[in-house]
Amino acid sequence: MSTSSSVRAPTDSLPRTGARHRIVVNNLRSGYHGKIVLEDVSFTIEDPAIYVVLGANGAGKTTLFRTLAGVLEPTSGTVEIDGVNARGHTAAAPIQYLSHIEGIPDGLTVDEALRFYAKVQGAAAPDVERVLQLLDLGELRHRFFSELSQGQRKRVSIGRVFLQERGIYLLDEPTSNLDPKLSREIRDLVLGLSQNDLVLYSSHNLFEAKEIGKYVLVLKAGRVAYFGLLSDLRPKKYIIGIRASGADGILSEASKKGEYYLQELAGPEEVPKLVQELAAKGVQIREVKEMENPLEDLFT
Amino acid sequence: MAGVIRAAGLAHSKRWAPVLEAETIRRTLRIGWRYLLIGGGISLLLTCELLFLGKSHAAAFNMTFPLETPLFAVMGSVGGLMTFTSDRTKGVYEYLLAYGVRPRGLFINGLLATAAMSGIILTVSLSVGLGLAVERGVTFTESFWEAIAYYTIPMAFAGALVTSTVGMIWASIASPRTGFNSPVGLAPMIGIGPTILVLLAAGTAPSSDYYYITGGASLALILIALGLLSLSAKLMDRERLLSNL
Repeated sequence: MSTSSSVRAPTDSLPRTGARHRIVVNNLRSGYHGKIVLEDVSFTIEDPAIYVVLGANGAGKTTLFRTLAGVLEPTSGTVEIDGVNARGHTAAAPIQYLSHIEGIPDGLTVDEALRFYAKVQGAAAPDVERVLQLLDLGELRHRFFSELSQGQRKRVSIGRVFLQERGIYLLDEPTSNLDPKLSREIRDLVLGLSQNDLVLYSSHNLFEAKEIGKYVLVLKAGRVAYFGLLSDLRPKKYIIGIRASGADGILSEASKKGEYYLQELAGPEEVPKLVQELAAKGVQIREVKEMENPLEDLFT
Repeated sequence: MAGVIRAAGLAHSKRWAPVLEAETIRRTLRIGWRYLLIGGGISLLLTCELLFLGKSHAAAFNMTFPLETPLFAVMGSVGGLMTFTSDRTKGVYEYLLAYGVRPRGLFINGLLATAAMSGIILTVSLSVGLGLAVERGVTFTESFWEAIAYYTIPMAFAGALVTSTVGMIWASIASPRTGFNSPVGLAPMIGIGPTILVLLAAGTAPSSDYYYITGGASLALILIALGLLSLSAKLMDRERLLSNL
Protein backbone atom coordinates (compact mmCIF):
# COMPACT_ATOMS: atom_id res chain seq x y z
CA MET A 1 0.00 0.00 0.00
CA SER A 2 1.16 3.52 -0.65
CA THR A 3 2.11 5.72 2.25
CA SER A 4 -1.19 7.50 2.19
CA SER A 5 -4.05 5.13 1.57
CA SER A 6 -7.03 7.33 2.21
CA VAL A 7 -9.57 7.26 -0.55
CA ARG A 8 -11.45 10.39 -1.57
CA ALA A 9 -14.89 11.41 -0.46
CA PRO A 10 -17.49 9.27 -2.16
CA THR A 11 -20.23 11.78 -2.73
CA ASP A 12 -18.95 13.15 -6.04
CA SER A 13 -17.14 10.03 -7.16
CA LEU A 14 -19.38 9.54 -10.15
CA PRO A 15 -21.83 11.63 -12.13
CA ARG A 16 -25.38 10.43 -11.69
CA THR A 17 -27.82 9.44 -14.36
CA GLY A 18 -30.84 9.91 -12.17
CA ALA A 19 -32.37 6.80 -13.73
CA ARG A 20 -34.10 4.36 -11.40
CA HIS A 21 -33.17 0.72 -11.75
CA ARG A 22 -34.94 -2.50 -10.93
CA ILE A 23 -33.94 -6.13 -10.60
CA VAL A 24 -36.64 -8.79 -10.65
CA VAL A 25 -35.61 -12.36 -9.95
CA ASN A 26 -38.26 -15.00 -10.43
CA ASN A 27 -38.02 -18.70 -9.49
CA LEU A 28 -34.34 -18.69 -10.27
CA ARG A 29 -32.37 -21.94 -10.41
CA SER A 30 -28.70 -21.74 -11.17
CA GLY A 31 -25.49 -23.66 -10.62
CA TYR A 32 -22.46 -25.25 -12.19
CA HIS A 33 -22.01 -28.28 -14.41
CA GLY A 34 -25.54 -29.49 -13.75
CA LYS A 35 -25.25 -29.11 -9.98
CA ILE A 36 -27.94 -26.75 -8.70
CA VAL A 37 -26.72 -24.17 -6.19
CA LEU A 38 -29.60 -21.68 -6.18
CA GLU A 39 -33.13 -23.03 -5.97
CA ASP A 40 -36.42 -21.14 -6.31
CA VAL A 41 -34.92 -17.74 -5.60
CA SER A 42 -37.31 -14.83 -6.10
CA PHE A 43 -37.05 -11.19 -5.10
CA THR A 44 -37.48 -7.69 -6.47
CA ILE A 45 -35.26 -4.76 -5.65
CA GLU A 46 -35.77 -1.19 -6.79
CA ASP A 47 -35.26 1.09 -3.81
CA PRO A 48 -31.79 2.70 -4.18
CA ALA A 49 -29.92 1.28 -1.19
CA ILE A 50 -27.39 -1.27 -0.09
CA TYR A 51 -28.77 -4.77 -0.08
CA VAL A 52 -26.49 -6.94 1.99
CA VAL A 53 -26.40 -10.54 0.84
CA LEU A 54 -25.50 -12.88 3.66
CA GLY A 55 -25.02 -16.58 3.85
CA ALA A 56 -22.62 -19.23 5.05
CA ASN A 57 -19.95 -20.57 2.72
CA GLY A 58 -21.65 -22.50 -0.07
CA ALA A 59 -25.03 -20.84 0.51
CA GLY A 60 -25.00 -19.49 -3.05
CA LYS A 61 -23.95 -15.84 -2.70
CA THR A 62 -21.33 -15.92 -5.44
CA THR A 63 -23.60 -17.96 -7.70
CA LEU A 64 -26.35 -15.38 -7.20
CA PHE A 65 -23.99 -12.53 -8.10
CA ARG A 66 -22.66 -14.38 -11.13
CA THR A 67 -26.15 -15.13 -12.36
CA LEU A 68 -27.35 -11.55 -11.87
CA ALA A 69 -24.26 -10.31 -13.71
CA GLY A 70 -24.92 -12.65 -16.63
CA VAL A 71 -21.72 -14.59 -16.05
CA LEU A 72 -23.81 -17.71 -15.48
CA GLU A 73 -26.99 -18.51 -17.34
CA PRO A 74 -29.88 -19.61 -15.14
CA THR A 75 -30.92 -23.23 -15.40
CA SER A 76 -34.49 -22.00 -15.13
CA GLY A 77 -36.37 -18.95 -13.94
CA THR A 78 -35.73 -15.38 -14.96
CA VAL A 79 -33.58 -12.39 -14.09
CA GLU A 80 -34.94 -9.09 -15.33
CA ILE A 81 -32.75 -6.00 -15.26
CA ASP A 82 -34.75 -2.83 -15.88
CA GLY A 83 -37.48 -4.90 -17.49
CA VAL A 84 -35.14 -6.75 -19.86
CA ASN A 85 -34.67 -10.49 -19.47
CA ALA A 86 -31.00 -10.88 -18.66
CA ARG A 87 -30.72 -14.44 -19.94
CA GLY A 88 -27.90 -14.43 -22.48
CA HIS A 89 -26.68 -11.24 -20.88
CA THR A 90 -25.49 -8.48 -23.18
CA ALA A 91 -23.30 -5.47 -22.67
CA ALA A 92 -26.47 -3.42 -22.44
CA ALA A 93 -27.17 -4.24 -18.79
CA PRO A 94 -26.36 -1.30 -16.51
CA ILE A 95 -24.26 -3.40 -14.15
CA GLN A 96 -20.93 -2.93 -12.46
CA TYR A 97 -19.59 -6.20 -11.14
CA LEU A 98 -16.94 -7.02 -8.58
CA SER A 99 -16.13 -10.69 -8.18
CA HIS A 100 -14.26 -12.11 -5.22
CA ILE A 101 -11.54 -12.89 -7.79
CA GLU A 102 -9.28 -10.04 -8.86
CA GLY A 103 -9.52 -10.71 -12.58
CA ILE A 104 -6.59 -8.55 -13.63
CA PRO A 105 -4.76 -9.87 -16.72
CA ASP A 106 -1.17 -11.01 -16.40
CA GLY A 107 1.69 -8.66 -17.09
CA LEU A 108 -0.16 -5.35 -16.70
CA THR A 109 0.67 -2.35 -14.58
CA VAL A 110 -2.02 -0.73 -12.44
CA ASP A 111 -2.50 1.98 -15.06
CA GLU A 112 -2.71 -0.56 -17.89
CA ALA A 113 -5.11 -2.78 -15.93
CA LEU A 114 -7.51 0.11 -15.36
CA ARG A 115 -7.18 1.19 -19.00
CA PHE A 116 -7.94 -2.39 -20.06
CA TYR A 117 -11.16 -2.38 -18.06
CA ALA A 118 -11.98 1.17 -19.16
CA LYS A 119 -11.89 -0.14 -22.71
CA VAL A 120 -14.00 -3.17 -21.73
CA GLN A 121 -16.61 -0.89 -20.18
CA GLY A 122 -16.47 1.84 -22.80
CA ALA A 123 -15.05 4.36 -20.33
CA ALA A 124 -12.43 6.94 -21.31
CA ALA A 125 -8.92 7.96 -20.25
CA PRO A 126 -10.15 10.68 -17.85
CA ASP A 127 -12.15 8.00 -16.04
CA VAL A 128 -8.94 6.11 -15.35
CA GLU A 129 -7.32 9.25 -13.95
CA ARG A 130 -10.34 9.88 -11.76
CA VAL A 131 -10.25 6.34 -10.37
CA LEU A 132 -6.50 6.51 -9.76
CA GLN A 133 -7.16 9.62 -7.72
CA LEU A 134 -10.31 8.32 -6.06
CA LEU A 135 -8.59 5.20 -4.73
CA ASP A 136 -5.25 6.88 -4.13
CA LEU A 137 -3.51 4.68 -6.68
CA GLY A 138 -1.47 7.43 -8.31
CA GLU A 139 1.81 6.32 -6.78
CA LEU A 140 1.21 2.75 -7.85
CA ARG A 141 0.13 3.42 -11.41
CA HIS A 142 3.36 2.20 -13.03
CA ARG A 143 3.84 -0.78 -10.73
CA PHE A 144 2.97 -4.23 -12.04
CA PHE A 145 -0.23 -5.57 -10.51
CA SER A 146 1.55 -8.80 -9.60
CA GLU A 147 4.00 -6.83 -7.41
CA LEU A 148 1.30 -5.26 -5.23
CA SER A 149 0.25 -6.24 -1.72
CA GLN A 150 -3.13 -7.88 -1.20
CA GLY A 151 -4.72 -4.62 -0.03
CA GLN A 152 -3.32 -2.68 -2.99
CA ARG A 153 -4.56 -5.35 -5.38
CA LYS A 154 -8.01 -5.12 -3.87
CA ARG A 155 -8.02 -1.36 -4.34
CA VAL A 156 -7.20 -1.75 -8.03
CA SER A 157 -9.82 -4.43 -8.35
CA ILE A 158 -12.44 -2.23 -6.69
CA GLY A 159 -11.36 0.77 -8.76
CA ARG A 160 -12.72 -1.01 -11.80
CA VAL A 161 -16.33 -0.58 -10.63
CA PHE A 162 -15.88 3.18 -10.34
CA LEU A 163 -14.76 3.61 -13.95
CA GLN A 164 -18.29 4.15 -15.15
CA GLU A 165 -21.64 4.83 -13.53
CA ARG A 166 -24.00 2.01 -14.33
CA GLY A 167 -26.70 2.16 -11.68
CA ILE A 168 -26.52 -1.42 -10.42
CA TYR A 169 -23.51 -2.58 -8.42
CA LEU A 170 -22.92 -6.24 -7.64
CA LEU A 171 -20.09 -6.36 -5.12
CA ASP A 172 -19.07 -9.82 -3.96
CA GLU A 173 -17.15 -9.52 -0.70
CA PRO A 174 -15.47 -6.20 -1.51
CA THR A 175 -13.83 -5.90 1.90
CA SER A 176 -12.65 -9.46 2.42
CA ASN A 177 -8.99 -9.69 3.49
CA LEU A 178 -8.69 -5.93 3.91
CA ASP A 179 -7.41 -4.11 6.96
CA PRO A 180 -10.02 -2.18 8.98
CA LYS A 181 -8.93 1.22 7.64
CA LEU A 182 -9.24 0.27 4.01
CA SER A 183 -12.46 -1.63 4.70
CA ARG A 184 -13.89 1.55 6.17
CA GLU A 185 -12.81 3.57 3.14
CA ILE A 186 -14.36 1.09 0.75
CA ARG A 187 -17.59 1.04 2.76
CA ASP A 188 -17.70 4.85 2.58
CA LEU A 189 -17.36 4.72 -1.18
CA VAL A 190 -20.12 2.14 -1.42
CA LEU A 191 -22.36 4.17 0.88
CA GLY A 192 -21.92 7.07 -1.53
CA LEU A 193 -23.12 4.90 -4.39
CA SER A 194 -26.18 3.66 -2.57
CA GLN A 195 -27.75 7.10 -2.42
CA ASN A 196 -28.87 6.73 -6.01
CA ASP A 197 -28.09 3.22 -7.09
CA LEU A 198 -28.88 -0.38 -6.31
CA VAL A 199 -25.96 -1.99 -4.52
CA LEU A 200 -25.87 -5.70 -3.75
CA TYR A 201 -23.08 -6.33 -1.30
CA SER A 202 -22.08 -9.70 0.04
CA SER A 203 -20.16 -10.08 3.23
CA HIS A 204 -19.36 -12.54 5.98
CA ASN A 205 -19.00 -9.70 8.44
CA LEU A 206 -22.32 -9.28 10.26
CA PHE A 207 -21.29 -6.04 11.94
CA GLU A 208 -20.31 -4.56 8.59
CA ALA A 209 -23.62 -5.74 7.17
CA LYS A 210 -25.53 -4.11 9.99
CA GLU A 211 -23.58 -0.91 9.58
CA ILE A 212 -24.11 -0.34 5.87
CA GLY A 213 -27.13 -2.34 4.84
CA LYS A 214 -30.64 -1.01 4.53
CA TYR A 215 -31.98 -4.35 3.34
CA VAL A 216 -30.70 -7.83 3.97
CA LEU A 217 -31.08 -10.92 1.84
CA VAL A 218 -30.06 -14.12 3.55
CA LEU A 219 -29.37 -17.26 1.58
CA LYS A 220 -29.46 -20.66 3.21
CA ALA A 221 -28.58 -23.72 1.16
CA GLY A 222 -29.36 -21.86 -2.06
CA ARG A 223 -32.74 -20.50 -1.02
CA VAL A 224 -33.81 -17.11 0.27
CA ALA A 225 -34.18 -17.49 4.03
CA TYR A 226 -34.95 -13.81 4.66
CA PHE A 227 -35.33 -10.69 2.59
CA GLY A 228 -36.40 -7.43 4.13
CA LEU A 229 -35.44 -4.26 5.90
CA LEU A 230 -32.62 -4.66 8.34
CA SER A 231 -34.48 -2.36 10.72
CA ASP A 232 -37.35 -4.85 10.85
CA LEU A 233 -35.08 -7.46 12.35
CA ARG A 234 -35.11 -7.77 16.09
CA PRO A 235 -32.74 -10.00 18.03
CA LYS A 236 -34.38 -12.77 20.02
CA LYS A 237 -32.93 -11.14 23.12
CA TYR A 238 -32.40 -7.41 23.38
CA ILE A 239 -29.20 -7.01 25.37
CA ILE A 240 -27.38 -3.74 25.92
CA GLY A 241 -23.92 -3.16 27.34
CA ILE A 242 -23.37 -0.27 29.73
CA ARG A 243 -19.89 1.13 30.36
CA ALA A 244 -20.12 3.10 33.52
CA SER A 245 -18.46 3.96 36.81
CA GLY A 246 -20.08 3.98 40.23
CA ALA A 247 -22.30 1.06 39.24
CA ASP A 248 -21.00 -1.43 41.80
CA GLY A 249 -23.89 -2.85 43.76
CA ILE A 250 -26.35 -1.33 41.33
CA LEU A 251 -25.53 -3.32 38.20
CA SER A 252 -24.65 -6.98 38.57
CA GLU A 253 -20.93 -7.83 38.35
CA ALA A 254 -21.92 -11.34 37.29
CA SER A 255 -23.29 -10.06 34.03
CA LYS A 256 -20.18 -8.08 33.19
CA LYS A 257 -18.51 -8.68 29.84
CA GLY A 258 -15.22 -6.83 29.61
CA GLU A 259 -15.93 -3.24 30.56
CA TYR A 260 -19.66 -3.57 29.90
CA TYR A 261 -22.45 -4.46 32.31
CA LEU A 262 -24.98 -6.49 30.34
CA GLN A 263 -28.69 -5.82 30.75
CA GLU A 264 -31.48 -7.68 29.02
CA LEU A 265 -34.44 -5.48 28.12
CA ALA A 266 -37.73 -5.98 26.32
CA GLY A 267 -36.63 -3.61 23.54
CA PRO A 268 -34.84 -0.35 22.70
CA GLU A 269 -37.79 1.65 24.05
CA GLU A 270 -36.74 0.68 27.58
CA VAL A 271 -33.24 2.13 27.24
CA PRO A 272 -34.01 5.81 28.16
CA LYS A 273 -35.90 4.74 31.27
CA LEU A 274 -33.02 2.52 32.43
CA VAL A 275 -30.48 5.29 31.78
CA GLN A 276 -32.56 7.75 33.80
CA GLU A 277 -32.88 5.30 36.70
CA LEU A 278 -29.15 4.60 36.75
CA ALA A 279 -28.29 8.30 36.54
CA ALA A 280 -30.65 8.99 39.43
CA LYS A 281 -28.70 6.40 41.47
CA GLY A 282 -25.45 8.22 40.78
CA VAL A 283 -24.10 5.91 38.08
CA GLN A 284 -21.91 7.77 35.60
CA ILE A 285 -22.74 6.28 32.22
CA ARG A 286 -20.04 6.58 29.55
CA GLU A 287 -21.49 4.40 26.83
CA VAL A 288 -24.54 2.32 26.04
CA LYS A 289 -24.53 -0.05 23.10
CA GLU A 290 -26.49 -2.94 21.66
CA MET A 291 -24.60 -6.16 22.29
CA GLU A 292 -26.58 -8.47 20.01
CA ASN A 293 -26.65 -8.32 16.24
CA PRO A 294 -30.06 -9.41 14.93
CA LEU A 295 -28.31 -10.83 11.88
CA GLU A 296 -26.67 -13.46 14.06
CA ASP A 297 -30.07 -15.03 14.68
CA LEU A 298 -30.46 -15.60 10.95
CA PHE A 299 -27.50 -17.94 11.03
CA THR A 300 -28.65 -20.01 14.00
CA MET B 1 -14.86 14.28 -16.23
CA ALA B 2 -16.05 14.59 -19.82
CA GLY B 3 -15.44 10.92 -20.45
CA VAL B 4 -17.55 9.92 -17.52
CA ILE B 5 -20.36 12.20 -18.50
CA ARG B 6 -20.32 10.87 -22.03
CA ALA B 7 -20.43 7.29 -20.83
CA ALA B 8 -22.95 7.82 -18.08
CA GLY B 9 -26.63 7.67 -18.74
CA LEU B 10 -26.43 5.48 -21.78
CA ALA B 11 -29.74 3.93 -22.63
CA HIS B 12 -30.02 0.25 -21.83
CA SER B 13 -29.89 -0.81 -25.47
CA LYS B 14 -27.12 1.48 -26.66
CA ARG B 15 -24.12 -0.04 -24.95
CA TRP B 16 -22.18 -2.42 -27.18
CA ALA B 17 -20.13 -5.45 -26.34
CA PRO B 18 -16.48 -4.47 -26.05
CA VAL B 19 -14.16 -5.23 -28.95
CA LEU B 20 -10.92 -6.61 -27.58
CA GLU B 21 -9.16 -8.25 -30.54
CA ALA B 22 -6.36 -5.69 -30.78
CA GLU B 23 -6.01 -5.60 -27.01
CA THR B 24 -5.73 -9.41 -26.83
CA ILE B 25 -3.13 -9.49 -29.60
CA ARG B 26 -1.12 -6.77 -27.86
CA ARG B 27 -1.20 -8.64 -24.54
CA THR B 28 -0.33 -11.92 -26.24
CA LEU B 29 2.72 -10.38 -27.88
CA ARG B 30 3.77 -9.14 -24.48
CA ILE B 31 3.20 -12.44 -22.68
CA GLY B 32 4.46 -14.66 -25.49
CA TRP B 33 7.46 -12.74 -26.81
CA ARG B 34 9.77 -15.55 -25.71
CA TYR B 35 7.96 -17.92 -28.06
CA LEU B 36 8.42 -15.47 -30.91
CA LEU B 37 12.14 -15.56 -30.17
CA ILE B 38 12.19 -19.35 -29.84
CA GLY B 39 10.16 -19.98 -33.02
CA GLY B 40 11.99 -17.37 -35.10
CA GLY B 41 15.37 -18.23 -33.56
CA ILE B 42 15.27 -21.98 -34.21
CA SER B 43 14.01 -21.37 -37.73
CA LEU B 44 16.91 -18.99 -38.33
CA LEU B 45 19.44 -21.48 -36.92
CA LEU B 46 18.25 -24.28 -39.20
CA THR B 47 18.19 -21.92 -42.16
CA CYS B 48 21.80 -21.00 -41.42
CA GLU B 49 22.66 -24.69 -41.19
CA LEU B 50 21.08 -25.27 -44.61
CA LEU B 51 22.83 -22.33 -46.20
CA PHE B 52 26.23 -22.34 -44.56
CA LEU B 53 27.09 -25.89 -43.48
CA GLY B 54 25.96 -28.15 -46.32
CA LYS B 55 27.78 -28.68 -49.59
CA SER B 56 24.83 -28.40 -51.98
CA HIS B 57 23.17 -25.65 -49.98
CA ALA B 58 20.95 -24.35 -52.82
CA ALA B 59 19.25 -27.71 -53.35
CA ALA B 60 18.94 -28.32 -49.62
CA PHE B 61 17.43 -24.90 -49.08
CA ASN B 62 14.95 -25.23 -51.95
CA MET B 63 13.75 -28.58 -50.65
CA THR B 64 13.89 -28.25 -46.86
CA PHE B 65 13.20 -24.60 -46.03
CA PRO B 66 9.51 -24.60 -47.14
CA LEU B 67 8.88 -27.82 -45.21
CA GLU B 68 10.44 -26.89 -41.88
CA THR B 69 9.17 -23.33 -41.56
CA PRO B 70 5.53 -24.18 -40.54
CA LEU B 71 6.84 -26.28 -37.66
CA PHE B 72 8.29 -23.18 -36.01
CA ALA B 73 5.33 -20.94 -36.82
CA VAL B 74 3.23 -23.30 -34.70
CA MET B 75 5.15 -21.97 -31.70
CA GLY B 76 3.02 -18.86 -32.07
CA SER B 77 0.04 -20.79 -30.77
CA VAL B 78 1.76 -21.15 -27.41
CA GLY B 79 1.52 -17.39 -26.87
CA GLY B 80 -2.18 -17.37 -27.78
CA LEU B 81 -2.86 -20.30 -25.48
CA MET B 82 -0.90 -18.75 -22.64
CA THR B 83 -3.07 -15.65 -22.79
CA PHE B 84 -6.24 -17.75 -22.91
CA THR B 85 -5.35 -20.02 -20.00
CA SER B 86 -3.91 -17.19 -17.93
CA ASP B 87 -7.02 -15.02 -18.40
CA ARG B 88 -9.25 -17.93 -17.46
CA THR B 89 -7.23 -18.83 -14.38
CA LYS B 90 -6.97 -15.22 -13.20
CA GLY B 91 -10.73 -14.72 -13.49
CA VAL B 92 -10.50 -12.17 -16.31
CA TYR B 93 -13.17 -14.00 -18.28
CA GLU B 94 -15.61 -13.72 -15.40
CA TYR B 95 -15.43 -9.95 -15.78
CA LEU B 96 -15.47 -9.98 -19.57
CA LEU B 97 -18.61 -12.14 -19.56
CA ALA B 98 -20.20 -9.77 -17.04
CA TYR B 99 -19.41 -6.81 -19.28
CA GLY B 100 -21.02 -8.41 -22.29
CA VAL B 101 -18.27 -10.32 -24.10
CA ARG B 102 -19.67 -13.59 -25.41
CA PRO B 103 -17.78 -16.90 -25.04
CA ARG B 104 -17.37 -17.05 -28.81
CA GLY B 105 -15.61 -13.69 -28.67
CA LEU B 106 -13.12 -15.04 -26.14
CA PHE B 107 -12.26 -18.00 -28.38
CA ILE B 108 -12.00 -15.81 -31.48
CA ASN B 109 -9.67 -13.43 -29.65
CA GLY B 110 -7.47 -16.41 -28.76
CA LEU B 111 -7.39 -17.53 -32.39
CA LEU B 112 -6.57 -14.07 -33.69
CA ALA B 113 -3.77 -13.72 -31.16
CA THR B 114 -2.39 -17.08 -32.29
CA ALA B 115 -2.65 -16.06 -35.94
CA ALA B 116 -0.80 -12.82 -35.18
CA MET B 117 2.00 -14.63 -33.32
CA SER B 118 2.36 -17.29 -36.00
CA GLY B 119 2.20 -14.63 -38.70
CA ILE B 120 5.11 -12.79 -37.10
CA ILE B 121 7.24 -15.95 -36.83
CA LEU B 122 6.36 -16.89 -40.40
CA THR B 123 7.13 -13.42 -41.73
CA VAL B 124 10.45 -13.24 -39.90
CA SER B 125 11.42 -16.78 -40.93
CA LEU B 126 10.52 -16.21 -44.58
CA SER B 127 12.04 -12.77 -44.93
CA VAL B 128 15.27 -13.59 -43.09
CA GLY B 129 15.57 -17.03 -44.74
CA LEU B 130 14.95 -15.70 -48.25
CA GLY B 131 17.26 -12.76 -47.64
CA LEU B 132 20.10 -15.01 -46.49
CA ALA B 133 19.48 -17.38 -49.42
CA VAL B 134 19.73 -14.51 -51.91
CA GLU B 135 22.89 -13.41 -50.16
CA ARG B 136 24.30 -16.93 -50.61
CA GLY B 137 23.40 -16.85 -54.30
CA VAL B 138 20.65 -19.48 -54.14
CA THR B 139 18.44 -19.71 -57.21
CA PHE B 140 14.89 -20.51 -56.27
CA THR B 141 13.15 -23.29 -58.18
CA GLU B 142 9.52 -23.20 -59.30
CA SER B 143 8.62 -25.98 -56.90
CA PHE B 144 10.15 -23.90 -54.06
CA TRP B 145 7.66 -21.11 -54.68
CA GLU B 146 4.82 -23.60 -55.05
CA ALA B 147 5.76 -25.18 -51.74
CA ILE B 148 5.85 -21.77 -50.06
CA ALA B 149 2.42 -20.85 -51.49
CA TYR B 150 0.64 -24.19 -51.07
CA TYR B 151 2.28 -25.65 -48.03
CA THR B 152 4.42 -23.30 -45.95
CA ILE B 153 2.06 -20.35 -45.55
CA PRO B 154 -1.30 -22.16 -45.28
CA MET B 155 0.08 -24.95 -43.12
CA ALA B 156 1.77 -22.53 -40.74
CA PHE B 157 -1.57 -20.90 -39.99
CA ALA B 158 -3.57 -24.14 -40.15
CA GLY B 159 -1.26 -25.91 -37.69
CA ALA B 160 -1.28 -22.95 -35.32
CA LEU B 161 -5.05 -22.54 -35.45
CA VAL B 162 -5.71 -26.24 -34.85
CA THR B 163 -3.28 -26.16 -31.94
CA SER B 164 -4.89 -23.08 -30.51
CA THR B 165 -8.46 -24.36 -30.88
CA VAL B 166 -7.74 -27.77 -29.39
CA GLY B 167 -5.69 -26.13 -26.63
CA MET B 168 -8.44 -23.65 -25.73
CA ILE B 169 -11.11 -26.35 -25.62
CA TRP B 170 -8.82 -28.57 -23.59
CA ALA B 171 -7.97 -25.76 -21.21
CA SER B 172 -11.67 -24.98 -20.75
CA ILE B 173 -12.78 -28.49 -19.92
CA ALA B 174 -9.76 -29.38 -17.80
CA SER B 175 -8.70 -28.10 -14.40
CA PRO B 176 -6.16 -25.35 -14.95
CA ARG B 177 -2.62 -26.51 -14.43
CA THR B 178 0.74 -25.34 -15.52
CA GLY B 179 3.88 -26.99 -16.76
CA PHE B 180 4.62 -29.38 -19.56
CA ASN B 181 1.60 -31.59 -18.88
CA SER B 182 -0.81 -28.81 -19.77
CA PRO B 183 -2.49 -27.52 -22.92
CA VAL B 184 0.16 -24.83 -23.17
CA GLY B 185 3.02 -27.28 -22.68
CA LEU B 186 1.70 -29.79 -25.19
CA ALA B 187 0.50 -27.25 -27.75
CA PRO B 188 3.51 -27.33 -30.05
CA MET B 189 3.27 -31.12 -30.37
CA ILE B 190 -0.44 -30.92 -31.19
CA GLY B 191 0.35 -28.45 -33.95
CA ILE B 192 3.32 -30.30 -35.37
CA GLY B 193 1.28 -33.51 -35.69
CA PRO B 194 -1.02 -32.43 -38.53
CA THR B 195 1.80 -30.61 -40.26
CA ILE B 196 3.90 -33.78 -40.48
CA LEU B 197 0.91 -36.02 -41.30
CA VAL B 198 -0.01 -33.83 -44.26
CA LEU B 199 3.58 -34.01 -45.50
CA LEU B 200 3.58 -37.82 -45.23
CA ALA B 201 0.22 -38.07 -47.01
CA ALA B 202 1.38 -35.76 -49.79
CA GLY B 203 4.61 -37.77 -50.14
CA THR B 204 2.68 -40.94 -51.03
CA ALA B 205 0.65 -39.19 -53.73
CA PRO B 206 1.74 -38.54 -57.33
CA SER B 207 3.92 -35.45 -57.58
CA SER B 208 1.35 -33.66 -59.72
CA ASP B 209 -1.12 -33.88 -56.82
CA TYR B 210 1.37 -32.89 -54.13
CA TYR B 211 0.37 -29.30 -53.69
CA TYR B 212 -3.33 -29.98 -54.13
CA ILE B 213 -3.05 -32.30 -51.14
CA THR B 214 -1.04 -29.90 -48.99
CA GLY B 215 -3.15 -26.86 -49.90
CA GLY B 216 -6.40 -28.82 -49.50
CA ALA B 217 -5.28 -30.27 -46.18
CA SER B 218 -4.39 -26.81 -44.89
CA LEU B 219 -7.79 -25.49 -45.86
CA ALA B 220 -9.46 -28.53 -44.28
CA LEU B 221 -7.52 -28.01 -41.06
CA ILE B 222 -8.52 -24.34 -40.89
CA LEU B 223 -12.17 -25.33 -41.45
CA ILE B 224 -11.91 -28.02 -38.77
CA ALA B 225 -10.47 -25.47 -36.35
CA LEU B 226 -13.23 -22.97 -37.09
CA GLY B 227 -15.90 -25.69 -36.88
CA LEU B 228 -14.60 -26.87 -33.51
CA LEU B 229 -14.49 -23.31 -32.32
CA SER B 230 -18.03 -22.58 -33.39
CA LEU B 231 -19.33 -25.77 -31.78
CA SER B 232 -17.46 -25.27 -28.54
CA ALA B 233 -18.61 -21.66 -28.22
CA LYS B 234 -22.20 -22.84 -28.63
CA LEU B 235 -22.08 -25.98 -26.54
CA MET B 236 -19.63 -25.11 -23.81
CA ASP B 237 -21.17 -23.93 -20.54
CA ARG B 238 -20.15 -20.47 -19.46
CA GLU B 239 -18.91 -21.83 -16.16
CA ARG B 240 -16.15 -23.62 -18.07
CA LEU B 241 -14.60 -20.21 -18.59
CA LEU B 242 -14.54 -19.32 -14.90
CA SER B 243 -11.53 -19.60 -12.67
CA ASN B 244 -11.40 -22.43 -10.18
CA LEU B 245 -9.79 -20.14 -7.63
